[in-house]
This record gives sequence, C-alpha cells and structure tokens, in this order.
Amino acid sequence: MDRNRRRFLQAAAAGGVVYAFGRTPGTVYAQMAGTGGFPDYKALVCVFLFGGNDSWNMVIPRTPAEYDAYAASRGGAAPTGLAVPLGTELPIDPIGTTGAPFGLHPSLAELAALFQAQHAAIVPNVGPLITPTSLAQYAAGSVALPPQLFSHNDQQDQWHTLKGRNQSKSGWAGRIADVLASQLPNQQLATNVSLAGNTLFQASDTVSPYVMGASGATTFTGFATSGTGLARKQAVDAISGANYGTVYERGIAAVQKRAIQFADSINTAIMGAPALTTVFPANNVLATQLQTVAKLIAVRDRLSMSRQVFFVSVGGYDTHTNLLTDQPGLLSSVSRAMAAFYNATVELGVANMVTAFTQSDFGRTLTSNGQGADHAWGGIQFVVGGAVQGQKFYGTMPNPRVRATLAADGADDVGGGRFIPTTSSDQYAATLAKWFGVNDANLPTVAPSIGNFAVKNLGILG
Amino acid sequence: MRVVAMKLKNSVVLSAAALLLAIAGCGGGGGGGGGGTTITPTPPVLLTKAAAYQLLNQATFGATDADAAHLISLGDNTTSASIWLDEQFAKPASTQLAYVQAAYPNPVPPGFNIGTLNTQRVDIWFQNSLKGQDQLRQRVAWALSNIMVISQNSALVNTPYALADYYDMLARDAFGNFRTLMQDVTLHVGMGLYLNMLGNHKPDTARFIRPDENYARELMQLFTVGLVQLNVDGSNQLVNGQPVPTFDQSVVEGFANVYTGWSYAGATSFAAARGNLVNQVQPMQAYPEQHSTLTKKVLSYPGAASTTIPADQTPAQDLRDALDNIFNHPTVGPFISKQLIQKLVTSNPSPAYVQRVAEKFNNDGSGVRGNLTAVIRAILLDSEARNAPSSATSGKAKEPLLRLTQLWRAYGAKAASGKFMPASAGGPTATFGEGPLLAPSVFNFFSPSFAPPGEISDQNLIAPELQLSTEYLNTLVTNFFWVQAVARTTAQTGLGADVIFIDTTAETALAADSEALVNKVADKLLAGQISATLKAQTKTQIELSPATTAAATRVADAIYLIAASPEFALQR
Repeated sequence: MDRNRRRFLQAAAAGGVVYAFGRTPGTVYAQMAGTGGFPDYKALVCVFLFGGNDSWNMVIPRTPAEYDAYAASRGGAAPTGLAVPLGTELPIDPIGTTGAPFGLHPSLAELAALFQAQHAAIVPNVGPLITPTSLAQYAAGSVALPPQLFSHNDQQDQWHTLKGRNQSKSGWAGRIADVLASQLPNQQLATNVSLAGNTLFQASDTVSPYVMGASGATTFTGFATSGTGLARKQAVDAISGANYGTVYERGIAAVQKRAIQFADSINTAIMGAPALTTVFPANNVLATQLQTVAKLIAVRDRLSMSRQVFFVSVGGYDTHTNLLTDQPGLLSSVSRAMAAFYNATVELGVANMVTAFTQSDFGRTLTSNGQGADHAWGGIQFVVGGAVQGQKFYGTMPNPRVRATLAADGADDVGGGRFIPTTSSDQYAATLAKWFGVNDANLPTVAPSIGNFAVKNLGILG
Repeated sequence: MRVVAMKLKNSVVLSAAALLLAIAGCGGGGGGGGGGTTITPTPPVLLTKAAAYQLLNQATFGATDADAAHLISLGDNTTSASIWLDEQFAKPASTQLAYVQAAYPNPVPPGFNIGTLNTQRVDIWFQNSLKGQDQLRQRVAWALSNIMVISQNSALVNTPYALADYYDMLARDAFGNFRTLMQDVTLHVGMGLYLNMLGNHKPDTARFIRPDENYARELMQLFTVGLVQLNVDGSNQLVNGQPVPTFDQSVVEGFANVYTGWSYAGATSFAAARGNLVNQVQPMQAYPEQHSTLTKKVLSYPGAASTTIPADQTPAQDLRDALDNIFNHPTVGPFISKQLIQKLVTSNPSPAYVQRVAEKFNNDGSGVRGNLTAVIRAILLDSEARNAPSSATSGKAKEPLLRLTQLWRAYGAKAASGKFMPASAGGPTATFGEGPLLAPSVFNFFSPSFAPPGEISDQNLIAPELQLSTEYLNTLVTNFFWVQAVARTTAQTGLGADVIFIDTTAETALAADSEALVNKVADKLLAGQISATLKAQTKTQIELSPATTAAATRVADAIYLIAASPEFALQR
C-alpha cells in the first residue's frame, strides 16, 4: 500500500473514532449506512494446521480402480503403506460430482456429518499459485511460480500473504482490515484477533492485530481500580507512552500500551458472556482457542464489533514419520474442535454469520518415504459454517496416480506425487473476503493474483 | 591459557604502576625540588559500567555488578573486553547430562514416565545459564540451540538424555569448528529422531518409496546455507532483481539419499537397531544394507569440488562428501555469521559488520574456515558491538527469557532447594514463550526475519524477538516480574523449598530513600542508564507507600517498574 493511501486510511479511522465517540453501535450503524458501514455481523475464523497436513488421507476415492491407484501410490494400504484401508473410510455423498464416490478418513466423523448436513464444503488441491499452471508450463519454467516451493515457512507465508514473488509485509486478513477500516470506525477491538501468537496472516499497514491467550486476555496482577494499584497501572501506562530512542523499545512499549488498554475491557466483556451449553472437547488445543472465539463472538455487541477475523492454530502436522500413529489423533482433534465450534455458533444464533476455514503449509507427497510423506504443494481444505453451501467439492481432486507409473496419468504431479494446485489460494481467499464484505474493486488488494484467474469466486458461501 | 595469563598479569602491573605514578605526581605540592620536567602520566581509562553491561548482556545470560567489576578490573577500555573473552574461551563447559541421569530413580517406581526427567533437564539448564562460569559458551550454545533446533515437543519427550546431551554437544562445539558442529549435529540421535535421519532407508522403487527429505532440506535451509545465495555482507545476490535459490528439489532428493542407512548404534543390523538409555547419547551408526547406493546430486556453486557424489560409496564416505559440499558453500559464512550477530548483538547489523565477521568465518587469519572462536571474537570485538549505542536501530530486543535470566542473575535468585523449576506446568515456555529445547517446531520460537508491522517493517528493519512480544505474553512476563518483586524475595518468609526468590537486602536497606532506592535498582539492572521518565514515575510510585509500614512494597515497585520497562527489555 502506498503511503498516501495509508495516511488516508489512518485519517479515516482516526476521524471515525472521534465521530463515533459516545454513540451506541446501533446509532453508528444507522449513520454509517450511507457511507458503507455494515448493518450486520460476520466473522472469519482461520484454522491453521502447522506443519503441512497430509490431506490425501482426508478424502479417499472409493471406486476400486481409483482406490487401487491411490493405495499403490502410497506404498499400499496401512499398515504396510500409508493409504487408509478400503472399508474403514466414512462414506460421503458430494452433490454434483460425477464418477468416483469418496470417503473421509475414519477420524473425521464430525466433519463428515457436517458435510452431509450441508454445513461443510471441501476444496480439493488448493495452494499458492501466481497464475493457472500446467505441468508443461511448470516443466518449461514458462510461468511465474511462488518462490521456494516445498519449504514450510515460505509456503506458510504464501498462504498468509498471497504475495507471490514479492516480499510481503502484510497478510490477506490484515489487508481485509485495511480496506474495511473506514467502514468499521467504532470497533473497540482490532478487526484481527489472534489466539495463537503473532502471525503474518493478520499483519496490517494500519491496524495492529490483537493477540490474546488461548483462553482469553490476561489482566495485570499488580493493577487495581484504586489506590496504589491504580497508580501502578497509570505508571506502567505512562512509562509505555514515553518517547524512546530505539525502534525496539518503541515496539515493546506499543504492545504494552495496547495490552493495558484492552485487557480489562475484553475480560470484562468475556466474563459477561452467556454460558455456552455446547461442550468443547477437553485437552484439545484448537477447541480451547475456538471456545474463546465463541465467547468473543457472544459479546460482539459489547465491543461494538461488526467484522472480525480470528486466527487459531495447532501444530504437529509435519508427518515425515509416524503418519499412521499420529494422523488419527491430529485429524480427530480438528474434526471435533471445528464441529463443537459450529454447534456453538448455532447456539449463539450466528451460524450464518461465522465461517471457519482451514489452511496448512502445503499438502504432502502422495508417495511415501516409508514412515510418512514429505513436503509438497496443493492440498485439501475444509470450509465450515451456516453460510456454506455444503456437501460439495469446490475444485478438482487430483488423479491419484504418481507420474512415474503411468505417463498419461498424474497430470498435476511434478514428481513423487507433488500436485500442482488446480485452485489457487487467491481464489480461496477472495471467495471468503467477498462474503465478508470486501467489494470487487478491493479484491486485488486482498488477493493480488486474483486477476489471473477466470473464476474469482468459488461460490462456496451463499 | 599462557597468553591469557600473561596479558592479565601485564595489565594489572601496568595499572598498578600508573596508579603509583599518579599518586606521586599529586603529592609533589610544595618544595621546589629537582628542577626536572614533571611527569604527568595518563591514568588508564577504565571501561565504564555501561560499556561493561553492554558486553555482558551480549555475551552472558545477564550483566551483574560482580561480573562488571571483574571485567573492568581486567585492563583498560581498550583491552579488558578482549582479555575477558580469552578467559571465557578457556572455561570448560558446564553440562547437563550427568545431572539428568542422576535423577533417574532407583528403584524405578511403577508407572515411571521417563519424560518427567525433562524437569531436571530444564532445572540444570537454568543452573548452568544462571551460575555457570562458562557464560559465553552457554550463551553461544543457547544461540546455536535456536538455530539447529531440536525440541522436547516431539517424540524426543521420551529421550531426555538425548536432549541433554545434544545441548552439551552444542556447548562443547561452540568454540570449535563449524564443520565439526555440522558432523556432530547430523549424527546426534536427538537430531536423528527430530528430523528423521535416524531410520531413514534406501529407496524402494517398486512401492514408490523415497528416502525421507526432512533432514536433507532443513540442514541446508535452516542450519547452514539458507534458501538463497548471499553476498559476503549478508545481502541477497540478485539476478534480474530476484534472489537466486541455493538449491532445488532435486538437490534435496540427492541429500535425502545421502542420509540413509543410519540408526541407533550397537545393533547387528538396521532392522534390529533399537534405542536405549545408552545409545541415545552415542552418535548414530551406519548400516550399509539400508544405504542408498545411487549417485547423489549435491549443491552446485563456484569452487564446488563436485556437484554429485558418486554411486556405491560407504555411508560415511557419502556423509563426509555431503557435509564438505555444504560447509564450503560461500553462503554459509554470511548466513551463520549474520544469525549469530543477530542473536548476540544487534538485529540490524550493517552489511560491513556482517562482512567483517563472515570473512573471519571464511578464513580465521591462518587459513582455517569455520573457526567459531574467531567468529565469536570478531562479533563481540567489532566496533559495531563495542561502540556506545548511537542510533535507533542499535542493539536488539532482549529475548523474553533473557529478561528473566538477567533479573535473576542481578538479584542472586535461588530456591531453598537449589533447584530452578519455574512453577508453571509449561515450564518457562508458558510465560516467556521460549525455553531450552522446547520449540513448537524446527522453525523455533520466533522467525529470524520477523518484523512487527509499523515503523520497523516500513523501514525494512527486523526485530525477531518482538514476535514473542504479544499483548498476551508481554503481560504474562510483566506479571511474573510483579509476583517476583512483591512475593518472592528475601523479605518474605515461609516460601516453599522450590520457590525462586531474589535477594533484595540492599534495596530494603534503602527503602526509606526513594531516590537512593531507584538509583540502586537502576544501577543493578541498567548500569545506571535510566531515563528521566522511568525514574520519575518509579519514584512517584514508591512514595505512595509509607516507608515505615510498607517498605517491601516500595522495593517491589522499584524493581517491578524498572524490570517491566521497555528500556530493560532493550539490549543496548
């Protein structure tokens, strides 16, 4: 973003805060209607599976020929090879797919039920691309490719930023917050909230994301509302607000100041949230974070929030080894957590306003290294929510054949079962952003390569 | 050793002589004796306390009054840093393994979980980091452990001996040659388990099974050469405006084939190799029957001995050739030098500083490549490290855990039991976002290129440690300091045996005098360099509590406000 534009947005945001001061959210919405303010609430929830989810075992072909090709490519069915044994999968009936029926990994019972109930969709073979890319173009080097394919942090960054070959300082959720800033003048909390640490996904030119713990914000132990405890709070605040000579001190001071500013209001709001009857699974890192997200959504009006992007994450998906022992637990935890979260949004009456979606570093090789699979490119993602036009695949499953075996097959395989994505991360992000309220003119700001793809909206969300 | 002793002795003698001459000069007041020229020798200019703290915060787990006094006493402001480094290079390594092994229960109780020994592993890490005499070695080992990452958050949770021994290996190799470090890291069972070289076997083409690529990629990408080719000053080489990759997938596959056939030592075959308490601290052993005999593609660069490794060599021959191939890549020097500078001295070194250090990596002056002692000396004696901070980008943000260790070292923290087991389930990571060999993944606790949005990112600067400075973690650290200052000090009685408390005796004696109290804390934590705002705010806060009835609160506020301040979080 150029500096003039950023200044404009900052001015707009600052002016908006002044303008909205002291008014109730309802009044502001009415006043904002003429300038594009949002009369409704929407939330996006990014569920990031760190390490590179081996998603070829999430969606399994069931016709004998396709299953046999898939299993052969994975070194055989478990426990000999990596393939999910035929007969153990959970059958699903995607609407509109012709040919092979599919099943989900046996550990995805909750997601399978959401899929069959049309509250979940599957996006097969999606990943970072700059432009549609064929195997011939890849081999010839005739199209621009995202740099450093098959590297964890680079492909994470590409998912986070969609910046292709350009160095990236902002994430696509951060840019959503930027382009919507003038329409969100009175939100008391940053549009972007992370429950899993600082992430490039939410980095923004204008509005700092807010980072809280998996179970909520933390209050300051030494502070009080009166006496020396109040003075202590004011002292820390004044120290954080002083002028400092180095960028490092200024960076820490800014965080300290925001922490003081928000800790009380957020915790007060969360403590006032109605108790949820939805049960979230215990000992589940994602579920803990998603339960906190549900609480924050429950108190959205107290914080005057109309648009929120949440980031939650879990690691452990880098299954070079021990795939057969680790994958059931990994997939079960994400399935149970996302289903509980969906149920909570139903309980809160916001199911149609909240869309959760997965991202991961990359898909893994379809072929095996004996114990697991290695870094690859395209993979399968899930989108869950009441607004999802579910029980559908949006995109194309790759041909489950390794190129070396059958020259005519494996048309998307660059070697070892590394599949060129047939849907781009930009298309995935633009689809979510469009639903969230980003207008067509701003979509290229959010998803810079979207112009290279004929389909700008995958149609997942109604 | 001999050179160190000589330098030390000479400097002391010189200082003493200069002092005597100075006294004689002063004493010559009255009589008009001699008529010769008056000798007015220049007294040696000693290192200032601020300058001593600057070096000690770069090179130890936190500056203290005692260490600063020692450093200053070693010579003058041109020699003491160098003499101190020589002292430190000569110190043997404090180790962890024996302590962890000694904690293994005998007899073994029913249901014993060996993973619980990681408590002792973290305990001994704190003991060594806080109290070890080999501070520089431990600080460099800590830096290396955050580059060549293995983590307890993996299958390694059940091999605490391998984890402890891995850290000991880093400490042993910290002042050795980088090529030796590469070899030892590669063959360590801890790394073998973490990045899957242990048990990696040759291809099985009938089943499309390839060798595991994990170690092959990360040894290059994260530990040695990085993803793109660098100039000797650490900047990216550009062709048509784009960085040039150091390797592609075919090279990863070549190295993946190199790293096949290795497993736990002591078995009769690859298939029979099993881990145990003995061989988890022994280097992995080669089992040729599972080693790939293919020709392997390796890194290609000007001056490379070869871009392939020939077929049918032994596993050890392949490993030697492969590691030599990586070690001699011209990007390794700037890649490792810059990261070590960033972990020890400053996040944003000038290209010239990186180049001066990388040239030492490439050639230590006697034709040796990869001499880490020469590299560390070059990093810490460089003018950019030794000059007083002069710009908005000088120095770096302290790692959160190093804020804690400095506070603890400055205040002689200890528990009655002598142990260091921070009282939270996640160990130090839960509060400080990091801990010894506790990273969430091989990408560690924070990215070496992290830039928070705002002025740092806008100016193309970085501040990697600030990735951990979130509203959430920063509040937890701040709260930890409050609890430490108000409830875990020598002023409290009845603390549990494992509660780590700080010695506030000196502060308590000054509690009635707010000016003296603030100055005391600022002297210990900031070498006296406290800003007017911080001093004024702290004094005002102290004075809200009566000295007669709330002396402990006055002391707590002084320590808390200064320890939690942005200026204490800055490493100058």
